[in-house]
Amino acid sequence: MPREAEPSLNEKQFVTQALQENLRLDGRQLDQYRPLELTFGDQYGVADVTLGKTRVLAKATAEVTVPYIDRPLDGIFTIATELSPMTSPAFEVNRPTETEVLLSRLLEKTVRRSGALDTESLCLVAGQKCWSVRVDVHVVSHDGGLTDAACVAVVAALRHFRKPDTSMEAGRLTVYTPAEREPVPLSWLHSPLCVTWSFFGEDGETAVLDATWLEEQVRVASCTVSLNKHGEICQIAKLGGMPVDAVVLLQCTSVALVKVKEFSDLLDRRLAEDLKKREKGGFMAELRAENDR
Amino acid sequence: MATGHPIVLPGETIDPSLIPSHPKNPLRLGPGLRHIPPTDIVPTVAGQLITNPAKNSMWIEYNSNRYIPTPSDLILTQILRSTTDAYLCLLSPHTAPATLPHLAFEGATKKTRPVLQPGQLVYARVALANKHMDAELECVSAATGKADGLGPVGNPAAGSGGCAFDVSLGFARRLLMARSRAEGGVGVLEMLAGEEGGGLAFETAVGRNGRVWVGSESARTVVLVGRALQETDRGGLGLEGQRRLVRRLVREMR
Repeated sequence: MPREAEPSLNEKQFVTQALQENLRLDGRQLDQYRPLELTFGDQYGVADVTLGKTRVLAKATAEVTVPYIDRPLDGIFTIATELSPMTSPAFEVNRPTETEVLLSRLLEKTVRRSGALDTESLCLVAGQKCWSVRVDVHVVSHDGGLTDAACVAVVAALRHFRKPDTSMEAGRLTVYTPAEREPVPLSWLHSPLCVTWSFFGEDGETAVLDATWLEEQVRVASCTVSLNKHGEICQIAKLGGMPVDAVVLLQCTSVALVKVKEFSDLLDRRLAEDLKKREKGGFMAELRAENDR
Repeated sequence: MATGHPIVLPGETIDPSLIPSHPKNPLRLGPGLRHIPPTDIVPTVAGQLITNPAKNSMWIEYNSNRYIPTPSDLILTQILRSTTDAYLCLLSPHTAPATLPHLAFEGATKKTRPVLQPGQLVYARVALANKHMDAELECVSAATGKADGLGPVGNPAAGSGGCAFDVSLGFARRLLMARSRAEGGVGVLEMLAGEEGGGLAFETAVGRNGRVWVGSESARTVVLVGRALQETDRGGLGLEGQRRLVRRLVREMR
């Protein structure tokens, strides 16, 4: 199995030394994100997030299935991540690396376990029929900050997604095509987003936001905080690495809240723009015979 | 890059009027061209066709991302590990390693060979590059026995390692040209060290494999030079653009 190429000794030493002088290789501030861009596809539920050179695509889909026996009143919601060899030769198909496992675990913890999507609303017929919503996350280009970008992509895809409308009449379930009835959005409760801090230096005293891939390879510890714009923390993951002072972590969470508010604003803005673009001017406009020609 | 040269595509027929002819010297084909006997000369890459009538040579200037070693290229390599008589070095990530013999350093004998840690950056020359074989590197000139500036760059253990920056192969080649400002259109390093940059003090080692090492006393200077190089490369800046970039970076990072 090919291993990820390690950065050279010179780079490792320089990155740490420069960070102690509050310098980053791309000239950013320590708590500054790379420019985050979010675009939606033509279809509902396709989100494309770029964070500097990192690019993540998320696609949400839904199908009608049988619910789990132990949860007859709940729909099914899954997140599947894929790091393809296109991203880096160190990734292989059907053999998840540690990065991929951690990424999918963090996304599950952030989005699924925090109850962002109301799974009860996905139930159609108790114990017999329910919606299964699935989000596929494809990492197209990897330059650090995967978790943060992937989380924005998943949340954006789910909030953009519309599932086909259904109706129940005399025990008969009807699923309408988009032509028959306008698809309906998912019942979305809150938007949790991830903010990852990286720690550098011998005691992990320098905290840095949105580390690039080179910085991620050099860092001594990292901590991912997931919270929504109301400041409700969904999870904090600090998996190994150097111990970090509790006070530093508290400061990190308060800065994370500011960043999450920024991302939420961007998300709301982009969703509103997309809605406006799709808006054809209401029912009367659709009925008009006039066209651009 | 030089303008006015025709753009060719792989497999295209080259206009015979473009091929230089010389009464005595044989025609020399450079990178990107292939001779198919008896009479065809076919480009194998897309790029600009450059001809030199005085030397009766022609080659193609192109930009790419994958480095293929060629003899006498200067490259910036990274030590992977040491074997009994050679270091294994990486020219680019995820490619077969090249060998750098322990004795291919200035004044090296079996007892006084330099000890290099894995991950150390070394500025070296490609001595041998055959198809289907791992390339061989050297840090000493075979003719004079002198290092001529080759060898390990920076000293990470002492805290003065400098840093390596990735650039495209075409940009690295333009930086390496003897008259990089006139021919390659790259004056960013001169500007940084000169008036526009306020006389920054730094040293560089440009590797043909698309890596540039920058060393300086101050980390700020290293970051500034690295950013200037990368932004010039990515933005495809001309000389005027480079001057503005240097001024902006110096102002930002003061």
